[in-house]
Amino acid sequence: MSEPIVRYNNVTKYFDDLQVLDGIDFEIQPGEKVALIGPSGSGKTTFARLLMTLEEITDGTIEVEGDYLWHEQDDNGDLKPASTDHLRKVRSNIGMVFQHFHLFPHMTVLENVMEAPVTVQGRDKKEAKKSAEDMLDKVGLLDKADTYPAQLSGGQKQRVAIARALVMDPKVLIFDEPTSALDPELVGEVLDVIKDIADQGDTSILLITHEMDFAKEVADRIAFFDGGKIIEDGPPSEILYNPQAPRLKEFLERFMNTQSSPE
Amino acid sequence: MSFWELIVSLLGQGLVITLLTTVLAAILALVLGFIGGLMRLSKNKFIRFIVAIYVEVFRGTSLLVQLFWIYFVLPMFGLRMSALTAAVLAIGLNYGAYTSEVVRSGIQSVDEGQTEASIALNFTRVQRMRRIIIPQAFIMMLPNLGNQLIELFKSTSLVALITLTDLTYQANVLNATTLQTTQIFTALLVIYFVIAWPMTKGMKMLERKMTEGRM
Ligand SMILES: Nc1ncnc2c1ncn2[C@@H]1O[C@H](COP(=O)(O)OP(=O)(O)O)[C@@H](O)[C@H]1O
Ligand SMILES: [Mg+2]
Repeated sequence: MSEPIVRYNNVTKYFDDLQVLDGIDFEIQPGEKVALIGPSGSGKTTFARLLMTLEEITDGTIEVEGDYLWHEQDDNGDLKPASTDHLRKVRSNIGMVFQHFHLFPHMTVLENVMEAPVTVQGRDKKEAKKSAEDMLDKVGLLDKADTYPAQLSGGQKQRVAIARALVMDPKVLIFDEPTSALDPELVGEVLDVIKDIADQGDTSILLITHEMDFAKEVADRIAFFDGGKIIEDGPPSEILYNPQAPRLKEFLERFMNTQSSPE
Repeated sequence: MSFWELIVSLLGQGLVITLLTTVLAAILALVLGFIGGLMRLSKNKFIRFIVAIYVEVFRGTSLLVQLFWIYFVLPMFGLRMSALTAAVLAIGLNYGAYTSEVVRSGIQSVDEGQTEASIALNFTRVQRMRRIIIPQAFIMMLPNLGNQLIELFKSTSLVALITLTDLTYQANVLNATTLQTTQIFTALLVIYFVIAWPMTKGMKMLERKMTEGRM
């Protein structure tokens, strides 16, 4: 088997006295699409934010392509906290799409997508513009290149945010409830784009979602979070139709009762 | 030279000094304000402390006293300077203290999500500030910065008291020599207003232009 692109080793996270993640071991293989499901407050977002370096790890390690994310090895092979340069180097493999988009409001759609390739990767402006336009074309928004985010619908904003993350060519792309902030009629267009990426790319995907049907459709694997732990982890068919853990059964039952399936 | 020619000539010279003081002090205040505002947000406690002292000292005493101190007291410690330099320094330092607070709160008012998106795109701290945070903060600061610029312009009339030959100083001289108090001080009033008013309008226009369709 190939080396995993992401590996969590006994990862623990506290916010002050509150334990949010409890010794998690977890792997993502290159190109694998993994969906995270679980009740609100179970630690899914925190789990993903540790990988994006938006929260600091309390204990344990995370490896990306075999490099420690939060740590560096000194001459004796002991782990010490990573320097800013090391953190940035490893982080460059990861991208994230947020629930609330977080587009740059002072830049046009095209500038939003071009900004990081030029400023962060130091790419040539013309060439970066070309890639940005290709990416906008991919998410169906090339005609909006010169508008400002304030003039877009929620679904369009999220598609721009996806283009902005994709243009950096991350090996792992995190989606944290990418459609939760959208009006129901705009969810579909965003899911379609994510589905396209999942189908075409060799980008690994970590998708936090409450859209069970969608998770089933795109994910190779679903992991069920509860109380800061991964309780069950397996292929969608197993997790959704043959759940073992009582907590997962309960969660799915409650879920089916409260959510009407869009099909 | 006729009476009116004399008035126009002297007030004109004064106006040049007033505008020069305004521009130089505003530049100094803006530079100090940005440096101070950014230092105020530093992770380093000591750096924050230094700026806090600067801000409190210059907000806690009056501009007039600061002017006197810089122009009349510093020379006793061997720091002699022209009235213009003292005026620019005092006004710049004073308004810089207020501006640093405007800059600090402007930067803090930018949504946390902007920082998170920048981290996710792997910006360095400096790149993030320069490209993402400050441009947005600046737009939010504009109304306050505009008000301060106009306050600063009006406050330059104090520099007459340290013998700088600005508009107000020249008006005083004319008043003493011609005793045409009504005409001279009315002209003074009108000149200040005619400059301050378009400044207010100009700032409003700039504000509108920078936010149009974006925010
Ligand atoms: N910055 C924070 N400070 C304190 N507590 C937090 C913070 N972020 C999340 N939490 C807490 O951590 C727990 C897990 O939250 P989260 O990771 O957002 O769960 P989920 O995404 O599964 O809903 C919750 O109890 C939440 O209140
Ligand atoms: Mg969450």
